[in-house]
Amino acid sequence: REALGEDAEPKVAEEEEEQRRSHKQIEESRQRLAKLLFDGTQLVTNIQVAADLRETQRRAEEAELKLQRVEKLENEAKSSTYKFEEITSKWALAKEMTIPQELWQLLNQQQQQCALLLEEKNKLIDDLQQELKNKDEQYVQAIKKQSDDIHLLLERMEEQIRIMLKTYRHKLLQIEKAFELERRELLDNNRKKWEEAIQAHSARELEYLHARMRKVEEFEKQLNQLRVEDEEEYNSMKIQLENDVQNLERQLQQMKAAYQLNQEKLEYNLQVLKKQDEENTIIRSQQKRKLNRLHSLLNNLRTKLAKQEKQFREENQSLAADCERITGQCKEVQRRIRHFAVSDAEKFTEVWLMNEEEAKGLMRKALDADRIIHTQQLGLPWEEPCHWFLNNVGPLGHYKVKRMATKLAAEVLTVGSGEGGKGNTAKVEDRVTPLRNISKKTAKRILELVSDESGFLIESKLLRPLRALGRHERTLMKLDSIFAALEIDSEDDLYQLVDFFLKYKAQEVAVSQLPKFAKGRGCGPLPGASWLLGRRRWWKAQCPACWPSLQSSPSGEDVRDPAEAREDGGSSAQRDELKPPRSLPASLPSVYMHADDVLRILKAFVRDFDKLREKDGSAKEILQVRDSSKDGEYWEALAHVIPEPTLKLWDALAVALEEYYEVLTRRASLLAEAAILQQQNSELCLLLEEYVSSGVNSNLPSPPTLWMDPNLSCPGEAQ
Amino acid sequence: SYYTHRVIEDPEWSLATVPHLTELCLQHIVHNFEKNPILDCLLPEHQRKVLDRLSTGLPLAVTANLISDEDYWKRCCTDRWQVCDISNYGDSWKRMFFERHLENILKCFIPNTTDPNQVLELIPLCKDYVWKLEVDQFLPPVKVDQKEERDDVSDTGSDFGLGEISVHHYDLGVLITALPHLEELHLTYGVKDCGMNFEWNLFNFTHQDCCNLAVAVKMCHNLKVFKLTRSKVDDDKSRLLVRNLLDHPCLVELNLSHNLIRDKGARAVGKLISRSRLETLDLCNNQIHHLGAQALARALAENSTLTSLNLRLNCVEDEGGEAIGRALLTNTTLKSIHLGSNNLSEPTATLFSQVLAQNTTLTSINFSCNHLGLDGGKQLLDGLADNKALTEFDLRLAEVGQEIEYLIHQIVWANREAARLGSLQHPPTKPL
Repeated sequence: REALGEDAEPKVAEEEEEQRRSHKQIEESRQRLAKLLFDGTQLVTNIQVAADLRETQRRAEEAELKLQRVEKLENEAKSSTYKFEEITSKWALAKEMTIPQELWQLLNQQQQQCALLLEEKNKLIDDLQQELKNKDEQYVQAIKKQSDDIHLLLERMEEQIRIMLKTYRHKLLQIEKAFELERRELLDNNRKKWEEAIQAHSARELEYLHARMRKVEEFEKQLNQLRVEDEEEYNSMKIQLENDVQNLERQLQQMKAAYQLNQEKLEYNLQVLKKQDEENTIIRSQQKRKLNRLHSLLNNLRTKLAKQEKQFREENQSLAADCERITGQCKEVQRRIRHFAVSDAEKFTEVWLMNEEEAKGLMRKALDADRIIHTQQLGLPWEEPCHWFLNNVGPLGHYKVKRMATKLAAEVLTVGSGEGGKGNTAKVEDRVTPLRNISKKTAKRILELVSDESGFLIESKLLRPLRALGRHERTLMKLDSIFAALEIDSEDDLYQLVDFFLKYKAQEVAVSQLPKFAKGRGCGPLPGASWLLGRRRWWKAQCPACWPSLQSSPSGEDVRDPAEAREDGGSSAQRDELKPPRSLPASLPSVYMHADDVLRILKAFVRDFDKLREKDGSAKEILQVRDSSKDGEYWEALAHVIPEPTLKLWDALAVALEEYYEVLTRRASLLAEAAILQQQNSELCLLLEEYVSSGVNSNLPSPPTLWMDPNLSCPGEAQ
Repeated sequence: SYYTHRVIEDPEWSLATVPHLTELCLQHIVHNFEKNPILDCLLPEHQRKVLDRLSTGLPLAVTANLISDEDYWKRCCTDRWQVCDISNYGDSWKRMFFERHLENILKCFIPNTTDPNQVLELIPLCKDYVWKLEVDQFLPPVKVDQKEERDDVSDTGSDFGLGEISVHHYDLGVLITALPHLEELHLTYGVKDCGMNFEWNLFNFTHQDCCNLAVAVKMCHNLKVFKLTRSKVDDDKSRLLVRNLLDHPCLVELNLSHNLIRDKGARAVGKLISRSRLETLDLCNNQIHHLGAQALARALAENSTLTSLNLRLNCVEDEGGEAIGRALLTNTTLKSIHLGSNNLSEPTATLFSQVLAQNTTLTSINFSCNHLGLDGGKQLLDGLADNKALTEFDLRLAEVGQEIEYLIHQIVWANREAARLGSLQHPPTKPL
């Protein structure tokens, strides 16, 4: 039964999972069966339990009875031993008995007591045997009872088995029924669905069939129609084609006729052509001969050409060599010219200076004379005339030698470093600030950046000693070598560099802030690059004209005369023109150079620098041609340092003085004459005296003293 | 010419009735199988035919190790016994045949009379097919009549009244140790169907028998189940057995029911519990009192592996019951306990209510035929209130009152349902 139950359970479990609907039925059946099983087991085991209970009860009773029996036996044993002792004690008494009657009596008593004892024992034995018999009976009963129990047990077990079988079968049937029902429902459902689907399918099939039929008919109709149409078309086409055939035949006839005609014509032509051909062959042979001749001629010419070409090539080579040589010479000449120009300039300057010195000396002399004339001769107060040319030294329009780039850089740098410290900074500032309208701070910053960032341009062996120097000197040294590497050697180049930096930066800024910037400038929207380009173009145009003034303006500022300032008005106007664009970089909000940009800018600068150099070169060439227009004026002015009235005065004075002089000279000569005469007189006197006194005289036939005129005087004195 | 002659003679003769030569050969083999067993070299279909025709009466010496076909052994079994429940024999007809054959021989073995070779000869034949021995009868040796009569009178002194040599039963030692697969041994030293020839000394399990058995069992290393029932095993014998069973490698089940074990024997069994891998112990219908129960309880508290304990029909009483209950407070292996008919009363019930509240492994308790009383029943009900593990609780004839019994039954039933659902959700666990 249990095995059955166990079998049923997993099955139930499986089914439970498989189908939910039959679950209830199964669960119910299972519960009922379990209950039934339990009840049946209870019923069957009840017998065992009852038997157990009976057994325990029996054991308890048995134990009690045993206890009683043991007690009884003990009591009996006690009493019997007591009696036995009594009897045995009496035996000793009997030995002492001498009287037979007493002995007999005693013996009788003893016998009676023994019998009594035996009787008691026997009674006990009887009792026990009785009990034993009872036990036997009880045992038989118990066996009977147990066999009854066993029978009952068997009966119940069989009953149980029967019931269980029946119920199991019943339940199985029920479960199967439930499953069957479910299955049937499922089947019905599925069949219904299937049928529906089939119906739908067949309906659709029918529909498709109808549609197909309809289409077939339609197509047939169309086909027929097409056939008819095609037939008609065919017929018409046939007729047309037949007509065409007739026409073509007619044409063929015509063509045949024409052919005949043509054939005749052509035959005639053929004859003619044959004749011509013959002629042509003759001509051709002639031509061939001519061609050969020409070919030979051509070959000749070719060889000649080759020769000529060769010749020309050689010539060309020699000419090229010549050209090279000449260019070299030209360069040499140019170099020499430059050299001579420089030496000429120097010589010129020297000559100028010499002449000027000479002129100045003359002038000074004249002035001195004038002064003396005025003060001494005329007694008038004399004023020193003051003229611009008086202080001029060297050739006119001579510009100061350009400061070296490094020097300027040093200046710029010292501006920053020595700010407010030294007195001369003010001067330097004066000189630097107006130059490019570049704020010195910006310039300084740029230079410092360049020196910091372009360390790679410095020679490595130079770097070590640099470390020992101070920051300022180091920067200077670095800049020096960097400039050397970049071939920046003049002030202008440095300006250009700084300018370029600013422009570059401005351009970048402009690119970023273009609309605002364009509005501010008001000259139309210029994109940064094109603006720069435009600027450069403008620069090129302005360069030749403005360079001299630009160069002279910074250096000549402190030595300039008001007169020259006036003269310089034109160029200053140009400068004014220059100013707005030039001040632009400075006027831009302080541009901060980023260290990373430096290299980029430097690269761009080096690219552009060569172009700028070229421009510079041309500017310098032009610069060499001096303006000598004012030289004459200068010298004229120098010559006319003494004004006309003074000259006239001088002329008059000269005339008067001449006269006076003549008088004086006459007087002087007269005086001299007089003196001489006096002297001669005196001498003569002396001589005379001597002679007179001397003996010779006296010897002489005629003494001189006789002829002597003691009153003769010298002619000078006479004047 | 003979055939042609016959054909001419007998018009009804046809070749079809002549059996094939193979048929004839097979028939011959079958007839002479005892002398010349040929089986293995035959084709499978011929083997089948031969096996189907072989007589079941062939000597085992021929068939035992040669034939492994189940159908043949099924025929043998059904020819010999009416009732054949193959499920008790591992679903093997051959095993069933040999086990039952051996059992029959042992049952009918009369010491000093039957030839021991009868058993010894069988050993090589059946040793590979015997897993279980179930012998419920051991015949005593035949005795002189006068002696029997004289002993008949004195029941109690039969043990000593008889000659020592003559009363010993067959010594299983030789047989058991020769069976390598033996796993189960069910023995009952007694005589069946003695009827009116009943004598006490027919049921005498002597000390020598016990010694022999114990030594034999000790040697039997694969033994898993050992049952020695209705054999008058008293304290000494049980101690002797236990001493030999200590630290047995395989023994799982021990059944000493319907014996005469008292407290000392119970103490020995308790020692066995803690020194073996016993899982099932049946001591029902012995004479264990509270001392023995306390010894068992100690073993339970320390151990271990025991899952089922049966103390039905003993005299444990409240002291022993309480000791067992206390042991169960800590024990986590025991699943089933039977304390029916043990003269228990309310104190035990009180303690077991605690056990029910604490223990979660116990699934089956039997308190039938005790005097728990109404109060004890109530306490048990209280203890059971939170218990989810208990699925069987027998309180029949325990004087707890119908109402409480019904309520307890309800709880236990609910627990059983829950356990069933739990086992459904966890398929690996065995269903109820």
